[in-house]
Amino acid sequence: MKVTLISIPVRDQEKALQFYTKKLGFLLKKDAPLGGGNRWLTLVSKDWQDGPELLLEPAPNHFEPCKVFQDALLEAGYPYTQFDVDDVDAEYERLIALDVQFSIKPTTMGTVKYAVFNDTCGNNIQLVETL
Amino acid sequence: MIFIKLCVQYITILLTKLNYNLKSEEKTFYETKLVEVKNTCFSNDKQIEVIIETKRLIDNNSEKELSLDVISKIQFTSKYHLLRLFKRYYGQTPRQYLIDKRIEKSKQKLANGKGVSETCFEVGFESLGSFSKLLKKKQGNYLVNFKKSNFREVNNI
Repeated sequence: MKVTLISIPVRDQEKALQFYTKKLGFLLKKDAPLGGGNRWLTLVSKDWQDGPELLLEPAPNHFEPCKVFQDALLEAGYPYTQFDVDDVDAEYERLIALDVQFSIKPTTMGTVKYAVFNDTCGNNIQLVETL
Repeated sequence: MIFIKLCVQYITILLTKLNYNLKSEEKTFYETKLVEVKNTCFSNDKQIEVIIETKRLIDNNSEKELSLDVISKIQFTSKYHLLRLFKRYYGQTPRQYLIDKRIEKSKQKLANGKGVSETCFEVGFESLGSFSKLLKKKQGNYLVNFKKSNFREVNNI
């Protein structure tokens, strides 16, 4: 068995595709229609193109508990998932310049430095740098 | 009378400011949980600093012969204490971390077309046999097969 996919629930797949590719810098990998305007939409990291794919799934629009869970996480400030970066401070500056909203500025705790931003699709996302 | 009025005004301004400060410092549930984790697991700054330094030492010298004895001497700590702390803060032992680091560097070298034996010694492994075993274990057969197929292509030309 292999881990090849990480899924993130999004309210609007097209909006998510724009945010994740244009602002975060991911690359589009797969885009196939699934009926009803839904798509099998996956991205890969520019720095690790044969790494796991990120699935932008429209689950909150079709399954109420997913929406409730996503809203509760967002409200509590909890990140839905996290991405590794080499330099949290540099990434923070880069994203701030692109109008990305952060709920936690770069902060050090133990052996990591982290920051949390809003992906505009219903999730908080955490950036992590291992010190 | 004017003095009292001024005093009241001043106090009102102070209270408004205080209220504003309290509101802006309101933490999310996640942030309060992070503070809890920080207080219970990551409160010893000095200790953490030594362990981060140890990790950087491994990062920058991974191709050299690095033993726990050498590392602990550089850091002026007992080796078992260092081992325990490294595992506590990074979740793996210095040895496991060093091996992962070497494998990561060897992946890059192999992808750039370097030979298996050359890569093995350049990243710091001492035995070719244990290197290819490790590669298979950590990467599946991906890299080894990749190198073999490269060979075949070259031979066919």
